[in-house]
This record gives sequence, structure tokens and C-alpha cells, in this order.
Amino acid sequence: MRFRGVSCGADTLVRQLRSRVAGRSARATLVLLLLVVVLFPLPGHAYAGPGAGFAVLSSFWTLFVAFLYSLYALLTWPFRHVLRTLKRRKAYGKAQFKRAVILGFDGMDPELAERFMGEGKLPNLAKLQQQGTFRKLRTTFPAISPVAWSTFMTGVNPGKHNIYDFLARDLSNYLPFLSSAEIKGPKRHWKIGKYSIPVGKTNIKGMRKGTPFWHWLGKAGIFCSVIRVPVTFPPEKFPGVLLSGMCVPDLKGSQGTFCFCTTRASGDKFREGGVRIAMERDGGVCRSYIPGPEDPLAEGSGRELRVDFELRPDPERNQARMEVDSQKFTLKVGEYSEWIPLKFKAALGMGAHGICRFYLKQLSPEVEVYVTPVNIDPGRPDLPISHPVTYSIYLAKLFGPYATLGLAEDTWALNEEVLDDDAFLAQAYGNHEDRERMLFDALEKTQQGLCACVFDTTDRVQHMFWRYLDDDHPAARNVPRDQRPNIIQELYQRMDGLIGRVMQQIDDDTLLMVVSDHGFKSFARCVNLNAWLHQNGYLTLKDGKTESGDWFEDVDWSRTRAYTMGLNGLYLNVKGRERQGIVEPGAAEALKNELRTKLNGLADPASGKIGITGVFDCDAVYAGPYVDNAPDLIIGYGDGFRASWDSVMGKVTEKIFEDNLKAWSGDHCIDPRLVPGVLFCNRKIADEKPAIVDVAPTILKLFGLGLPAHFDGKAWTLAPVVGK
Amino acid sequence: MLFVPIRPLMADFLNRVLLDNPLAIVVVVSLVVGLLMVLLFGYTSNQKAIKVAKDQLKAHLLAVRLYQDQLPVVMRTYGRIVRGTGRYIRLAFMPLLYVIIPITLLIVQVDRYLGSMPMQPAQPFLVKVQTAPDTLNDLSLQLPAEMAISAPAVHVPADNEVVWRVVAEKAGTYNIDVAAGGQTFSKQVVVSPDVSRLSPTRLRDRFWERIFVSGEPALPDNSPIQAIAVTYLPRNINFAWLEWNWIVLFFVLSMVAGFVFKEVLGIEI
Repeated sequence: MRFRGVSCGADTLVRQLRSRVAGRSARATLVLLLLVVVLFPLPGHAYAGPGAGFAVLSSFWTLFVAFLYSLYALLTWPFRHVLRTLKRRKAYGKAQFKRAVILGFDGMDPELAERFMGEGKLPNLAKLQQQGTFRKLRTTFPAISPVAWSTFMTGVNPGKHNIYDFLARDLSNYLPFLSSAEIKGPKRHWKIGKYSIPVGKTNIKGMRKGTPFWHWLGKAGIFCSVIRVPVTFPPEKFPGVLLSGMCVPDLKGSQGTFCFCTTRASGDKFREGGVRIAMERDGGVCRSYIPGPEDPLAEGSGRELRVDFELRPDPERNQARMEVDSQKFTLKVGEYSEWIPLKFKAALGMGAHGICRFYLKQLSPEVEVYVTPVNIDPGRPDLPISHPVTYSIYLAKLFGPYATLGLAEDTWALNEEVLDDDAFLAQAYGNHEDRERMLFDALEKTQQGLCACVFDTTDRVQHMFWRYLDDDHPAARNVPRDQRPNIIQELYQRMDGLIGRVMQQIDDDTLLMVVSDHGFKSFARCVNLNAWLHQNGYLTLKDGKTESGDWFEDVDWSRTRAYTMGLNGLYLNVKGRERQGIVEPGAAEALKNELRTKLNGLADPASGKIGITGVFDCDAVYAGPYVDNAPDLIIGYGDGFRASWDSVMGKVTEKIFEDNLKAWSGDHCIDPRLVPGVLFCNRKIADEKPAIVDVAPTILKLFGLGLPAHFDGKAWTLAPVVGK
Repeated sequence: MLFVPIRPLMADFLNRVLLDNPLAIVVVVSLVVGLLMVLLFGYTSNQKAIKVAKDQLKAHLLAVRLYQDQLPVVMRTYGRIVRGTGRYIRLAFMPLLYVIIPITLLIVQVDRYLGSMPMQPAQPFLVKVQTAPDTLNDLSLQLPAEMAISAPAVHVPADNEVVWRVVAEKAGTYNIDVAAGGQTFSKQVVVSPDVSRLSPTRLRDRFWERIFVSGEPALPDNSPIQAIAVTYLPRNINFAWLEWNWIVLFFVLSMVAGFVFKEVLGIEI
């Protein structure tokens, strides 16, 4: 079988050929003839066509190169060993462990973990708790993954690493931009005829400040393998290997734009995260395309590159034959393809390489195909997604193509009901299995040093399936309680199984730490804070408007004192800071206090529950050189509440509170005190109230390194191990 | 009708450029073989497994570089490279079973044209006859009128062999006869400036050897003569300022062609 679960005409031909030729007698004849050739040799017999020639040559070449590499490694090893020993003496001389393994389970909730452990469903986590440590891990303000993981790796508060949300606002136009990285095309273009040829490289600038702790370890000669830790794009140089995680864009430069190709006549545009593409029927063939990045030779024209594909439905077999970029495969309804490499071709031989998966949703009455966001091809990355660049290639060659997109699990497609629960889970766990393979490879390769790997699955699955856990979630009211699947419990059990397998791989001289950046709560009610600001006179719409479109389209900035965008930040419209600011800097403090007083304890009129349990002044929770970029206030929503989908996008609606009817039904972007993360460790930790900011200093201390003065966290004290 | 006047020109062009040009023959054969073998390889091999095996080999090579400071990792990886190479060779050589027969027969046939050069007029050459010991002194060589013996026969009893030195006056395809024990056995000799099909030896029995080295019918089973050989000179082909044996050149050119075609056809080798 050439493709897993897929057959094609070539395969059939091969099978026929094989069945004809590969009979026993035919084989005997072939063997006999082969013997004759061997027994009566001529010079020409040594060569049997280019296939065998290539095989021989490339095999010898491989062995030769490998031999040279190995010889080089062997001969230079003593010198490098001496150098490393000199470097490491300080580190390993005082190191308490030979190796530290950190498993990051994004969003693992301590209350759920405790509940499932109590029910005996998580034996490995229970073992860690019993033999070592289980604590709630205090998170950051706000409790958002890019913020918390940035603090995890740098050991500092957001005022020193400059990440406050997924989005930051542009002071000149109140529009959002991605807070973690900025990607700009080449500055210069040569205009030749109709082409505008880019000159120079794409400029990728990391916006996260601070130094990840693995850089300190690397400098001390301690090898580190870091896999999929969020906000590590663009990858920074350090002595170790790193695969970037959350915030890696797709090939279009977005955080994930899926594509839904359908023969349906028309449909609403998706709110976010996807595009609907018409699929045209032509007899028994359906044709559509996958939109790609902007044409690099048509700067500013907005013209997209695209890859066409064809689909030939076979309703009787409930499958379709697909042809994409000269690759042919068969796909059953309800089945994903493997990762399919795509080349988006521009003129003059330019283009971009990506990979995607197809999911055949249905064949009748209409044909519907979901296409994942086009990921950067890890085997030939057009943007750097690892350090060194060869690390992503190494993983792709070893395990096959894998998802590289930061937010690879397509939550938007499930939200928009393009995917159903099962299809989403299949995608999420497919990615998860790839990362497990990467982790175990890193564990095998990193016998000494640091191995850190973050799994997103815990976060995405809880976001999308909390509705089945919450007895009264608006998004699951039509699902009887006895028919609700135990998806989140199964997720925790799966992660527990992973921990069990990791525990089998490590020895007594390895520190194992399981951390999450935050916990989880239900997201049943949406709060449109812009609507509240509007109704309370802090935000003014243009004359005649009662609502505003996305990104403050209808906001009158000359009469607006405060606004909110993103998940937890509230901003004042400060004169001299914002382009059309009106709040005098001297009056900002009083306005902040006024807003804090009014918002704190804001109740949902429908239930009387408290929608906002805390409003935090940035000056009180942050300290550092980048505090000026922080929101003025951090909103801490209550259990069951979160910023509304509209409010996040700078939209002003008439309603302040409304039900959340989306599959995205659990969240953590609330009062950080309500959603601590977890800390499990195979050693006793004395500290009672550990925080995520303490992880970096703790690891440095465990490897015997001094702590940089700017660290905000403090190293935990580990109970001594008897006999060590 | 339109092409009637140019047909002779085309034939002449083909003769001169292709058929009488050993280099052109090797190039054409290499291109055709490169294409066919790549196609055959694609259809008879497990493409998926070959891709995986090659990718894993590349991964192990990268691992040696990535983890070069960790000697145990380098050593383990080298072991995997050796195992992976074995696996790759095994996968790549499965199609060999399908291609080795046609390729071998093709090489044998082409070798008859390109492996040796025909004799030239006035160029002496040797005729060697291997016979049974009791007929060693009973052999005689009968030549056509255009040929002559240029030196007395030399008997080599240790090899049961008699050798004559012969020279041809002009080009042509001749039969020389060897008489022994009252019978006569002929052997073809080609004297020509062009590329010709040559059979360096005529054999008795030795079926497999005849297939590979002889282009003539077998000598009768009751013949006292075991072999009649003519010492054609090996042919060298000038290409890229070097003299090549045609098989070596074929090896290189068909590899290049195969490399190009595999890229075009998207076949993993």
C-alpha cells in the first residue's frame, strides 16, 4: 500500500504486475537468472540500470558522509569534551540532577486533576503527587498562554517580557497586531516589467523580550531540547535544539486560516479563522483551489497564490478521488488525508512550500471539503521554525510531515461547525501523537541536560469540550446529560498515560516536572466590555450609531476615554500616547480608579452572578521597562464569564451580557486567581505557593547556575534525596 | 509525398549522426534506458517505503550533526545509519529483480556493437582456435581471397590452442573456415570502418557463456573444436576529453538521465 488508507491507479497496476510476476515459479526463474548473471559475470552485469545505480551510489555516499561525520565527531570529541567539562564544571559541579524533563500541559486544571486522581483515573499523576509534589501553580496577569509561557521561560513578569495578550494595539490607529512576532517582507523591490521582485530577506522580529532560561543553560554548556514551547517564534540562537510552538504563523502569515470548499451556492462568511471557497462541478469532476500567500512578485496587489485541486466523487463507495498538485489519493467521507505537500508557484520560479490535510465532510447533496490551514512545510521551511533550521527538517525526515502552525488544532473550524466533534478530536490527537514522538526522541537524545516539551492538546480540547462538563452550558443544552461524552476525562487519562511512559524512560537522576500555565473554567456567558463602556459614557460612537463594527469602526475617538480589545486588557485613550487620545495623563490615575470601582463586582442581570471579580491596575501587577505597552487595567472575569467574541475584536454591541453558544465553551482568560495551573514533580518541593515565574530560577539553581538579578521568580527548595 | 525528397537525406543523417556514431548510440540508449528504468523502478518498487527509508537516513545524518557533542548519540545514530542503509538497499534492489534480465540482455546486445571495433583493412589480427588435444596438429585455416595469413600458425599445447595472424585487404564481412577431423567450421570476421555487430568468438556448448559473449550459432556437439576466437580491439569512446569504455559511459549517462527523469516523473529512487 503506497499511501495509508489510500489506493491509487498506480498501486493497482503495481499489484497486478506483482501478482503476475511474483508467483513462486516466476520468482524461481528470476532467482535462477540472477544466479546465472552472478556465476557468469561480465563487466556490464555489475550495473542494472539507474535505479540500482542510484541505490548503490547513494548508499555508499550516505555511509561515507555518515562515516566522515562520525569520524569528525569522534576525533574532535576529546577536545570538545575538555572544553565542555571546563564550561560545565561550574554547572554540573553543583547540579542536583543530571537531567531535567519539563512537560508542559497547556491549561491542565488542578481541580480537575485532583478530581480525576481522587477517582483513581490518573494513576501516574497520583504517583507523582504521592512520591513528590502536587501544587497549584500561580499564573500570570492575565492568565493567557503566551503571557504565562513567556514568564515561564524568562522568569520575569510581563512588564519585562512585553507579552500581555495574543494581540497588542497600534497606538496610531487602534488596530491590533500580533504581540509575539512581526513579519515584514523585504524592504526593497526591483520593478521589472509587470513584476516587482523582492530584494533581500523577509524580516522576522520577535517581540518577546527577556532571555529564556535554556539560553543560560546553553551558555554554561548544558544541552537543551526545547519543543513547542509557546512564543518561541522566531526561534533564537542558543546551544541546543528548539522547535517553535504557539505563534508560528501559517503560510498566509495568519494564525490559522482554514479553507472550506463547497459546491453550495452561497453562505455566510466565517466570523474568523476561515475562508469559504466555491467548488465548481463539471460533469463528474469538482474543481476548487486552496488560497496561499500573497504573490511575492505582485507587491501590494493583494493577489494570492493558489493551488488548484480536483475531486471526483464516488458516492457508491462513499469516497472521492482527489488530485492536488499532481498528487493523487482517495479519501473516504469522514476521513483526513495525510499531510499533502503543496507548492504555491509564482512567476520566475519563485513560490512557497506548505503542507495541509484534507477532510472530506460530505459528498451529497453537496460536496464539502475542509482543508486545514496551510502549515509551513517543516521539511523545507520558508520561514525559520526551529533552531537550528535543520532541526525541523530532521524531525520531518524522521517522523514525516507534522503540524507547524502555532495553533494547529483548528478550533475555529469546530466553532463554525465546519468540523464536528469527532473530526476535531481526530485532528487534535493526530498532532498530539506527532509531538509525543518528538518528545520521546528528544528524551533519547538528551540524556544529560534539559528536555522541555509543551503539549497544546490539553488547552484546545478543554476549550472546545467544556460544554459537556458544565451541567448548564448554553452550547450543550440540547445534549442530554447522560449522552455527553467524557472527552475531558479521557484527555486527562491520555496525558496521564504519557506521563507514565515518560517515567519509564527516566532514571533517579532525572528531575521530572509537569506544569501548566493556567487552569480552566466554564465560559458560558460573554461580557462585551466595550458595550458597558459605551453605555456608561466612557466610549462614544459616531453620531447616529448604536453599535460599532470590528476594530472600533464606528467609534468617535475624540469623545472616547476608554476601550478594550483582546481578551483581558482595558486601555485609556490617553492624550499624547494614543493618536487621538483625550485623557490627560494627569487624569489617568483617577479614571483608572473610577473604572476599577465601577467594574469590580459587575453582576450579570440574568443570574445575579458576578461577571467581573477583579480589576487590576497595570502599575500594581507589572514592573519593568515595557510596562508602557501594557493595558492600563487587566480585567478579571468571574467563573463562567469571559470577554465576548465581539468585544475581543473591538466591536461595540447593544448587549453587555449574552450566552456563549459556541463550541469554544471553556476558558481561562478570567481572574487569574481563579485559574492557577498545576505543578507536579517527582521530588518534594517545600514551597507552598509556587508560581510559574519561579520555574526558570528553579531550573537554573538545580543545574548549579547563579540567578540573574532581574529575575522576578524565586527558586524553589527541593527536599534532599536520601543517599545523594 | 512532401517528405519523399528529404528521406534519403534523413537516412543519411541518421546513419552518419546516429548509427555510425558510437557516442550518439550510447547517448540515445542511455536516455531511453534511463527513462524506462526509472518508470519500471517506480512501478515495481514500494515508493512509500523507499521515501521513508531515505528520509530516515537523512534524519540520522542530521542527528549526527545536531547531537555531535554527545558521543553515545552519535554512535547509536551511526548504527542506525548502517541499518537504515541496509534497509534502503534491500528496498531499492527489489526492483532489480525485474530490471536485471532486460538490462543484461540489452547490455549484451549493445556490447556486440560497441564493445569492440571491427578490423580495418591491412590491420593484422589473431585467429585463435581451441580444440581437443588429439586434433591440435590436424587444424588448418581456410581464408577467403580478400584475406591472407601474415605469419605461420603458432601451436600452444598447454592451452590446446592454435593461433594464426591474419590480415584483410579490404572491408567486408567474411567467413573464415577452420578444418579439423574432416569437418569444416566457419567463423565470421568483420572488416569495416563503421559500427558493426561483432561476435568475438564462436563456441561449442557453454550455453550461458554463448549468450553473453557470442553472436553466432554454436559449434556442432561432435566438433573437435571448442572455440574459434577473433581478437577485435576494444572500443573507446571520446567524451568530455576522456576515453570511455561504453559501459562506463552508459552508466554515467543513464544515471544522469535517470536523475532528470525521476525528478520530472516524481519517482523516488
